[in-house]
Amino acid sequence: MMQNAEAVLAVTEVSWAVTALFGLLLVGLIACLALEEKIHAKKSIIAGVFAIVCLALGAATGVLPFQKVLVGSNEMVEHGEVDGQIVDDDHSVHVHVDSTETETGDEKAGHGENGHAQPVSIGGHRIGMPVYIPGIDWGVIAIILGSSLFVDVTSKSGLFTWIAIRVTKASAGDPLKLLCFYGVMTVLFSAVLNNVTAMIIVGSLTVVSLEKLQQRDKLFGFLMVEGLLTNIGGLLTLISSVPNIIVGGAANISFLTFFLKASPYVTVATVITLALGARMFQVKRLATAKDKEEAKNLVSSFDENDGIESNGFFWFATVMLVLFVLAIAAASVLPMNLNKLGMGFVALSFAGVMLVRYKAVVDDFYRNIDWDLLGFFMALFVVIYVMEHALVLATIGSGVNAVLADVKSSPATVQDSAVLLVGAAVFSSVTDNIPLAAMLANILSSLGVESSSGLWWSIIFGANLGGNLTPIGSASTLVAVTIMHKHKLAISFAGFVKAAIIFAITQILLAVVYVVIFLR
Amino acid sequence: MTNIDQFESVFKAADKKTYEFETIDFERVLVVSDLADDACHEFTSRAETFLAVLEHGDWSPAWRSLGASDFSTVGDMLRCINENDPDLIVSYRNLHFPATEYPYSLGAHLDVLTQVTKTPVLVTPHPDWLRQHPESMQNTQTVMAITDHLTQENHLVSAAAVLTQPEGQLWLTHVEDQGIFERYMQAIARIPSIDTDNAERVLLTQLLKEPADYIESCRTALESLDMNITIASEAVLGRRLNDYKRLIENHKVSLLVMNTKDEQQMAMHGMAYPLTVEMRETPLLLV
Repeated sequence: MMQNAEAVLAVTEVSWAVTALFGLLLVGLIACLALEEKIHAKKSIIAGVFAIVCLALGAATGVLPFQKVLVGSNEMVEHGEVDGQIVDDDHSVHVHVDSTETETGDEKAGHGENGHAQPVSIGGHRIGMPVYIPGIDWGVIAIILGSSLFVDVTSKSGLFTWIAIRVTKASAGDPLKLLCFYGVMTVLFSAVLNNVTAMIIVGSLTVVSLEKLQQRDKLFGFLMVEGLLTNIGGLLTLISSVPNIIVGGAANISFLTFFLKASPYVTVATVITLALGARMFQVKRLATAKDKEEAKNLVSSFDENDGIESNGFFWFATVMLVLFVLAIAAASVLPMNLNKLGMGFVALSFAGVMLVRYKAVVDDFYRNIDWDLLGFFMALFVVIYVMEHALVLATIGSGVNAVLADVKSSPATVQDSAVLLVGAAVFSSVTDNIPLAAMLANILSSLGVESSSGLWWSIIFGANLGGNLTPIGSASTLVAVTIMHKHKLAISFAGFVKAAIIFAITQILLAVVYVVIFLR
Repeated sequence: MTNIDQFESVFKAADKKTYEFETIDFERVLVVSDLADDACHEFTSRAETFLAVLEHGDWSPAWRSLGASDFSTVGDMLRCINENDPDLIVSYRNLHFPATEYPYSLGAHLDVLTQVTKTPVLVTPHPDWLRQHPESMQNTQTVMAITDHLTQENHLVSAAAVLTQPEGQLWLTHVEDQGIFERYMQAIARIPSIDTDNAERVLLTQLLKEPADYIESCRTALESLDMNITIASEAVLGRRLNDYKRLIENHKVSLLVMNTKDEQQMAMHGMAYPLTVEMRETPLLLV
């Protein structure tokens, strides 16, 4: 999907009017995503409509490359040592010099403009394929599909509710301890599962336990802090959020590297957010021994084993979850070429193993898949694919290049790191951070930014943390607001911003300092 | 399982109502009768034998009696009871209501008594019937606490436990109304967005699981108190009155314990009134 825009420019003539037309479509898509709630349309429908229009216009204006796609080839990089031969359409095996029109998703070219060796594809054959299929990053889709299925089946074991209730009991019902424990749990669940699932689990438990403890007046503060922490936790690992997956993949950041580089920030930001939250929302410890005893008795009536249907499956799911995290962490260094199958393979494999437990009723889990999210990603990738060919991304890249002092500098300049991080945060606060991440990752790739550059981290931190500025900035804060509305807590857009702005600015400033000092 | 409501449901289900024993002392027992002295004495002796469980070693509760000469009107009866301030009232159906051949009510005195006073009332069969059945009311070997909403009935269960004699059996019974359940299922069957079979299965499971969980917590708590009683349980879906009767007869219940007070109404709570009227041969403790 990540195709070299400059290379496309070399082989395709696109008029400025066509580029401007598609640029307007991109602005329209972003605006519609920002107004998703107002227009009462799901993301998949919004992006899907734009994908259809983009494809139709792309075909009509001739910007789309309608060619057969090379599959089954091996890639080499010793350019010049192999005769360049275009593979024939008769499926015969030949040697093929890679050109932009033959790229197929996971493997990408893109060293050419730096003067590096050109990839050379050996063997394989061409097949006919709809033009929008290679445009989709199937690696990302596989990770999201596999992870969500795995998490869904694992949650049936009662493991997550067991952990959540044990944490509640460990707090003994003390509000301050509860806020801290739930906060840490939110971060960890966001890191291992995903932001939305983490917010749903912790938010639901918060409602039930605060009502049980007769502390409902603190519900707003708890949900706000948890919502904000989902986006902090979303920074912990490569699979914690979609922007991480997209940008990390584009910059070839491994799971372990990502974790090691992001975890210090996540730790500090979590502590600061909890301290700020406790102060702002007046969450204090219980004063008297009687209150403490009462609270302890109240939370002790939660039965963590209630949701466990089978002890065997519970322990199996626990082991599988640990193995899943380890396998994802080690996906890039798996032996016997297994690393080449990628994290999507790991996620889908674990989901498959878990589904065996429910082999007779797997259709229940298929129904639970977030098809809106998957449809949205696929449509979004198609739109961005068309935008590449219409040179919209190249144009935006030129603009980014003009704004930034020296994008190719490694380490990145302080100014570039800060500007890109804050810019990404502001942008992702008003619209979905996924198209932003996908677009910026594509642009940085096309501008030849080194994998070691801190600019990738600027996008990652900005795209994640921007979600804390507004209620529409991220799916998990939207879930927090949904829970508030469900429980009759009136919160307007402005009200959310007013409550969240101190947290978000603190987190973004901290991120700027962190990226500039440690990750640049 | 990825939406808010599903997880809220999971956590709400995990929040279980647990039983806590309430200490209930029956130190002063008042027998309220419309009998002459000898007959009143005989009835009181019968009641003392029946409630021997209240005696602990040398200690026994203070028994007092009201007879035919002590009151005639409902007002007088209530005044006498207030003056004695008992912890437990023992009386019988058709008190001051000589119409035992019409078994359609408890009689005006008892109807009022069970609702006005906060003191538990033990309603026994009529003394005439007791005289004809000397084998009845010998002990509280098998006590049954019965309700349509057992969870959080700490007082009811505690009263039943206190009145179960050592080595006796305490039945904790919950009967979910089948008629209401069927009515809801008929409505659900007409709603396309709800899977009827699944709804029936999970709803029934949940309705019976809650009392079952509560009964389990009762068992744990009562066993820890070393009361030397056996806890048995039954949580079923049934046609209320018929199934209550079946359970009572099947288990040869010596004493039936029920809630009668309802803050929403002046009449007895739920199934209590039909049961008190119809279970004429079983002693009933109305709390």
